[in-house]
Amino acid sequence: MSSEYRFGRFVPTEQGPPEPQRITEQVIQRFEHVFEVDPAAMGTHFHQQQMPNWDTKRIVAARSDHLDAVHHEFADEVILAGEGPDSGPASSQLPPQASSTTHMARATD
Amino acid sequence: MTITTIDAMILDRLHAILDEDGAVLTNKSSRFNRARVPAPFPVHRWEEFIPDVVVLPRTTEHVAQIVRLANEFAIPIVPRAGGTGLADGAVPMRGGIVVDIKRMDQIKEIDLVNNTVTVGPGINMQTLNRSLKPHGVIYPDDPASYACALVGGRIGTSGLSLLGARYGHTRDLVISFEIVTPTGEVIEVGDGGGRKIRKSSTGYHLKHLFMGHQGTLGIVTEATLELVPRAEAEFAAFFLFEDYDTAYRTFANLAKSGLATLGGVMMFDPEKVDYLRRDDEAYIIQPEWVKAVCAASLFGTKIEVEAAAPKVMELGRSLGGRYIGDEIASGDWAARHDRYANPLHGRDKNGNVTPMSWHCEDAAIPYSEVPAVLRKWHTIARKYCDQYDIFDDWGAFQYTNGAHKPWADVLVEIDMGLWEDRMDEESWQAFVSLKREIAQVAIDHGGSMSSCHGATRAGDAELVPTEMGASWEVMKTIKRALDPNNVMNPGKQSLDEAYRKVTR
Repeated sequence: MSSEYRFGRFVPTEQGPPEPQRITEQVIQRFEHVFEVDPAAMGTHFHQQQMPNWDTKRIVAARSDHLDAVHHEFADEVILAGEGPDSGPASSQLPPQASSTTHMARATD
Repeated sequence: MTITTIDAMILDRLHAILDEDGAVLTNKSSRFNRARVPAPFPVHRWEEFIPDVVVLPRTTEHVAQIVRLANEFAIPIVPRAGGTGLADGAVPMRGGIVVDIKRMDQIKEIDLVNNTVTVGPGINMQTLNRSLKPHGVIYPDDPASYACALVGGRIGTSGLSLLGARYGHTRDLVISFEIVTPTGEVIEVGDGGGRKIRKSSTGYHLKHLFMGHQGTLGIVTEATLELVPRAEAEFAAFFLFEDYDTAYRTFANLAKSGLATLGGVMMFDPEKVDYLRRDDEAYIIQPEWVKAVCAASLFGTKIEVEAAAPKVMELGRSLGGRYIGDEIASGDWAARHDRYANPLHGRDKNGNVTPMSWHCEDAAIPYSEVPAVLRKWHTIARKYCDQYDIFDDWGAFQYTNGAHKPWADVLVEIDMGLWEDRMDEESWQAFVSLKREIAQVAIDHGGSMSSCHGATRAGDAELVPTEMGASWEVMKTIKRALDPNNVMNPGKQSLDEAYRKVTR
């Protein structure tokens, strides 16, 4: 179960999502490492709605819980290489790496 | 041929067999919800696939009596486990009785001395493993549908496990099972006669006949499964590549490494990477130079996995692969069940996001043929995407297919989005045609059109005789011998041909 106030105490005035930051032509983010398909591409066939911040945080936390659960389902311990990402080709720069627990908090009807 | 209409008399007989409230269902929602599976479906012809009645037995004797009743009146029977299959094995083609085995979900015996567990076919692997974990053992059958597939369906499809290179697939992990034949006899099949025997040279090994029968040779009512010591440790690494060919050769280096703890080796092709960039529900940033991805997982004791992990890192980088980093690698590996949990979407020709259902072809292809197969598949996909604005190419992934043999053939899956709500008969037939072309390519390159889902659907079923070759006649003979009235899941895999009289 979630710890008390896991997603922060609910304050109604703090639930409006921040302005989006463009990541690629297709993708935006409002919270760090929480990516969404650009709502401009969604609107034709999916009605859009504003997700309260609390709900976005809940979904992201649930995703993290799910990934942890899958790991522990099949093995007692996860061994890591102990390394960060390798550099890209000299001709390109890797953008900042995203957390593996990111989830596209997609506004859908 | 099965043609009997189910009337009040048949329903009374079913009630008498099951004698339990809620065990015989004729209401619309119970029947409509068992008309389809997650695979794309002709929603414009939904009514053609609705069963007449659904029954939920609890015992082998229930199932045997239901099957005998079906034979008496020539009523089609369709076994249904989780209904999570991707090849329409559980879709009724001719109405009749859907035998839903979800109430047969008991754990009957856990034998920690012989390392077996005996269960009803209606149990889910995740639920089973919850009971096994305190004993330090696991049933490691791990499909993408791990959280929702049932043991009976896994036997029906002879499913593939994402840990198959290490622990084997369903056919290796199921030691023996009890099955009600199409005429209502109850038999046990395994390797020889012992329920817990893994290897025998006595008699015919009928387990392999009934494994993957797609519900056409009976209904599983009990299964005895392997118990494997839980892995102390897992390790997963993902490597990024600037071109597909280098990733493809790295795949072989990993698969042929001889590492005994390999759970699987996987690859994404350029079209899959493009799809992940735009529409993956668990999006991670992929720089433009990334054209292909190769990954490997290890499972075993801690000393084995710790010793093997550096070798995986070395092999993944041996031809220029770049490690994705710890944080994303472990999360990406744990996300392998995503496709059964996430709402899916694709794009129309204008780039607008559209709700789509997911179709995947799951051919088994010799490693040497994989690049050529993929080129042809994407050409076929492009042709249909250009012509119809309801298809979307979501790219392909490749996975080690051989049980305990990562060096063997490759599961090659091309994923396509289908905008089901916009389909009509013309576009549905286009989908069937697309499937048929893709399946033919697999056969032409010495492969099998289905590694793990089954070849029961239109687009695949008509090519089963082609793929089986001379053994098609044997297959028909077996079907006719075991199911003389063609009641058991009729209309699947072109097996109706077994009952056609030959005009000389």
